[in-house]
Amino acid sequence: MARQGQSGNRAGNANLIKGQRAAAEPRKRKVRHFYDYSLLFAVIFITAFGLIMIYSSSQYMALINSLPPDYYFKRQLIIAAAGLVLAVIISKIDYRIFRLRFFVYGANLVSIILLIATQIMGIASHGRTRWIEIAGISFQPTELAKASVILFVAYRISKAGLRINDPQRKEILRIYGWILLPAALIASQNLSSGIIVVGIATVMLFVAGKNSKPFYAVGIIGALCYIFRYKVVGAIELIGNTTGLLQDYQMERILSWLYPEKYDAYQTMQGLYAIGSGGLTGQGLGESLQKLGPLPEAHNDMIFTVICEELGLFGAVSVILIFLFIIYRCMLIASNARDLFGSFLAIGVMAHISIQVVLNIAVVTNSIPNTGVTLPFISYGGTAVLILMAEIGLVLSVSNRIKLET
Amino acid sequence: MKKSRNNNDNRRNGGRGRNTPFAKYMQEKLAIAVIFITLALFILILVIYNLIKNNSEDYNKIVLSQRQADYVSKTIPYKRGDIYDRNGNRVAGSEQVYNLILDPNQMFATEESISPKTVVEPTVSALADFFGYDAKDLTDTINSRRDSSYVRYARELSYDQKTEFEALIDELNSNYMRSDDANESKKRIKGVWFEDEYKRVYPYNSLGCNIIGFSSADGSTGTGGVEQYYNSSLIGVNGREYGYLDDETNLEKVIKPARNGNSLVLTMDANIQGIVEKYLEEWKETGPKSKSASVVIMNPKNGEVLAMGSTNSFDLNNPRNTDDFTDEEIYAFGLEEAVGVYRRENPDEPAITEEEVPQHFSHDEIMSYGTQVAWNKLWRNICVSDTFEPGSTQKPFTVAGVIEEGIDKPTDSFNCTGNVKLSDGVNTWQINCVNRNGHGWLDITGGITNSCNVVMMNLAFNEGVETFLKYQQIFGFGDYTGIDLPAEADTSELVYTADEMGKTSLATNSFGQNYNCTMIQMASAYCSILNGGYYYEPHVVKQILNADGAVIEDVEPKLVRETVSQSTCNYLKQAMFETVETGTGKHAQVEGYHIGGKTGTAQKLPRDARTYVVSFCGFAPVEDPELVCYVVIDEPGDPGPAQANSAFAQELFAKIMGDVLPTINLYPEGTDASDYKAHVTVLPDSEEGMNDIAMGDSISETAEGVGSSSSVQPSTAQELNGGADAPDSPTVEGGGFGEAIEDPGDAQIPVDMPPGYSESETYSGSAENRETEETLPEEAETSDEN
Repeated sequence: MARQGQSGNRAGNANLIKGQRAAAEPRKRKVRHFYDYSLLFAVIFITAFGLIMIYSSSQYMALINSLPPDYYFKRQLIIAAAGLVLAVIISKIDYRIFRLRFFVYGANLVSIILLIATQIMGIASHGRTRWIEIAGISFQPTELAKASVILFVAYRISKAGLRINDPQRKEILRIYGWILLPAALIASQNLSSGIIVVGIATVMLFVAGKNSKPFYAVGIIGALCYIFRYKVVGAIELIGNTTGLLQDYQMERILSWLYPEKYDAYQTMQGLYAIGSGGLTGQGLGESLQKLGPLPEAHNDMIFTVICEELGLFGAVSVILIFLFIIYRCMLIASNARDLFGSFLAIGVMAHISIQVVLNIAVVTNSIPNTGVTLPFISYGGTAVLILMAEIGLVLSVSNRIKLET
Repeated sequence: MKKSRNNNDNRRNGGRGRNTPFAKYMQEKLAIAVIFITLALFILILVIYNLIKNNSEDYNKIVLSQRQADYVSKTIPYKRGDIYDRNGNRVAGSEQVYNLILDPNQMFATEESISPKTVVEPTVSALADFFGYDAKDLTDTINSRRDSSYVRYARELSYDQKTEFEALIDELNSNYMRSDDANESKKRIKGVWFEDEYKRVYPYNSLGCNIIGFSSADGSTGTGGVEQYYNSSLIGVNGREYGYLDDETNLEKVIKPARNGNSLVLTMDANIQGIVEKYLEEWKETGPKSKSASVVIMNPKNGEVLAMGSTNSFDLNNPRNTDDFTDEEIYAFGLEEAVGVYRRENPDEPAITEEEVPQHFSHDEIMSYGTQVAWNKLWRNICVSDTFEPGSTQKPFTVAGVIEEGIDKPTDSFNCTGNVKLSDGVNTWQINCVNRNGHGWLDITGGITNSCNVVMMNLAFNEGVETFLKYQQIFGFGDYTGIDLPAEADTSELVYTADEMGKTSLATNSFGQNYNCTMIQMASAYCSILNGGYYYEPHVVKQILNADGAVIEDVEPKLVRETVSQSTCNYLKQAMFETVETGTGKHAQVEGYHIGGKTGTAQKLPRDARTYVVSFCGFAPVEDPELVCYVVIDEPGDPGPAQANSAFAQELFAKIMGDVLPTINLYPEGTDASDYKAHVTVLPDSEEGMNDIAMGDSISETAEGVGSSSSVQPSTAQELNGGADAPDSPTVEGGGFGEAIEDPGDAQIPVDMPPGYSESETYSGSAENRETEETLPEEAETSDEN
């Protein structure tokens, strides 16, 4: 893509936005900073779209919770707007000030403390919870942990630089070792968030290291397991039955993924019904029937099925394309960032968004076992939106440090 | 673009620190990562596409049917019609009640920020505070039925409870929503709703239980009484709330309201019924122990049943209460029933005896059969379902046929020698009169007032089998009356046909033995005499109202046939008046009223058991009968001649009538005269003014009736010398009276005077009779009557 971007002008960065190039004054050697408006607008667009879908899918939920119909919509609107402001503010701050050791380790320490606090509070209230309350505001520490892990891994990679490939240092393994604690803590509260954290770190380290073979090996084994999942699960069942290592409910959960109709996986089936009944063009915005009762979490984890039902395959593909565009912009920013820290921040955020999108859609289409993963920018949830917006702010800040040579 | 401006700088730094370049291999691997992500997303698009392609239609149908299913299932229950007495008192009704339904599934199906705790706790505490339920039990129920959406926690809550609780929920929820406290604002009460249901209530409990009957809990069927007979009118059609999806798959909600059942207005008068039951209860408590005592009160002018009851009553609100029976009794019923069950189920096997029952049936099964038998005993409507030999209450009908056909005149006299001997040339049967010494010469009126069997037998011989049976049929014996109550007994096999009837059975039939009838048949037949010869179908329902209370059917008196002429009727009324005034029915007198009536004492089978049914069928006022009251007591006191005392029935009759008559505005003479003086007509032969009946048109009839009474004055004299009211015992001597043995009543056999029987003073002259009877060698079954 490097070549295709060149058009006479050596200012390779200018092709990020065509308008910029036209505006460039060749004679003035003035340094101009890039700002990725297309990413910002893509995020604003998908957030607004998400709000519409939340309004559509949460009315019924609000009704049965004896709340005003726009209750969820309004809450999400306020948080999204605040998040957007936050993103813009962060984007105007030079991200390099976050590259302080004190800040990175401090952020991780805070998120670990919050995770432990949540754990303790959860035990105290005889139930598992992912929420912690600070000054009356509920807060999900797992989301913060995702961001701080991105920050941490990006910091370590940028610190190591190319020495990351030094076989003596085993830097990659050491980074994995460092994130083990937060990942385990997150996984204990929310398995899928733990997987996401490890996934983000894996994507970042895959890009950072020269040696890809271990990643490919794990990837191929994983792909084979997936392809032969029926046999693998059969083997697991056999082992589980003979050794008693697996609890019944765990086994059932895996089996209900493979045989959703047989095991009466209600939520999964209702999601599939919604997707299927949407057809190619959908029932029309606001016309979902599944959100009226049958589909639990319609405005939350399952919101993609409502999109499919109301807007059809057409709407689903559009949403995926917008995500792809956001991923693409993150990739460009990473490639052109001023330093490794900026590059890997962008890669981390990209990984975060793409992993959640893939997992969420895979869950609702029953391609993987059901785990609670939200759809970024669209699903209802305050903490997730705020953190994602802050991450986008960081990426925009990275983009803003890119100098346009004119 | 990968060639960053900083490349050279970075290299210079040896890959260290902040200016490390984004190496080329990183660019490539980033591209690989993005390609993988893109690939994954395209695979997922493919998955979605396949899902849609393969399942779109099926899933669409499932979604639509699920949507519709939410509504289709909702039924709106109909309301079973009410039942009112003739004065508009509601004697049976359906009250809307509400069942409290918990929906734990909904309580737990919340978004995460509202944890179940913030729903379950406030909901439980609201329920516990308002209804006083045990909070722990509620919490346990909710937690143990997490996946259920329908837990019926409480039943039959009132409308007030329901609305107040709903208001409380709304108030609390809006308080929670507005609360500034973060904890409070998350609390919600939900997952509680009320289900409509109707509950059948009988405000007067056991009052009129045989007329009303009771309905099943769901109000779809009735057992006994009009609840059963008019079930199809009382039930309605359930409504439905359902949704259908229109062309644009919008759900259209449609409510098809329930069609409520029709209501009934009974001919029953709750006041009269209450009086009847009061005295029946008193009889049960203080009278001699009897098998049963039953009363029917009818309006002779149209066949309306005003009251019908027996000592065999039960609480309509709790009809399955078998406290009246001991466990041993129920077990005994069960044994008996089980023998029959075994025979039905194993027709090829030899029958088992009661001793063998426990080998084939468990104790629980036997008790279950026994309980059913006990219920049926409890619910049995004696007045309609039980047959019995009526005894002397038959006599007016015997006379009616004779007079109507002109075979004998009222003044024709017969010599009662104390018995009638019948002979077929080989055997001789002697059928005794109540008075073994004979009444001497009696005219027909005297035959009635003295309840003389010999006169009746002579009359029957005079008219012959054909005519006797013709009038038996005219008066409805052996036929269904057609009353609108279930389980009317079939008496067609319990009366004679012309082929079967011989002279002895004719003789015994003439005074009411040897054939069976029901109380309602007898009362209806009396009505036809008292109203001037019109046999109306007895009925208990007056009107049928629709759910809005509008009359949709008026039950007109249904004239079945005309029986005998007005003059015959007048004659009989007068004769029965004489019976009460001076004859065997003196105990039935009610101070201040002109009462007429006829006593009956029938000997039951087997005759040597000396058990009796005593009865009295009376009416008032004589001049224009407004009420017929028929009292039957089955076996009053211990078996033996002492049972044969119709005074039991007469006294019960007198008590009931004394209370009932004022309720229909018939006041005793000399009391409260100012209220009705205007209506009083001084009748020629009546020293006192008549008790007026609130009906003007009755007066002329009254005059006529009373006029005729003077013409039969002689009978009074006869009564005086005849010594009234001895139980006449038709005695048939000798054996081999085959014809009679086939009788349904099996009653033709020698009849014998019960020695101990006595009708107190009226029976003044009968001491010798008793002695005489005891000396009689041939005793056997007897029909005793007076």
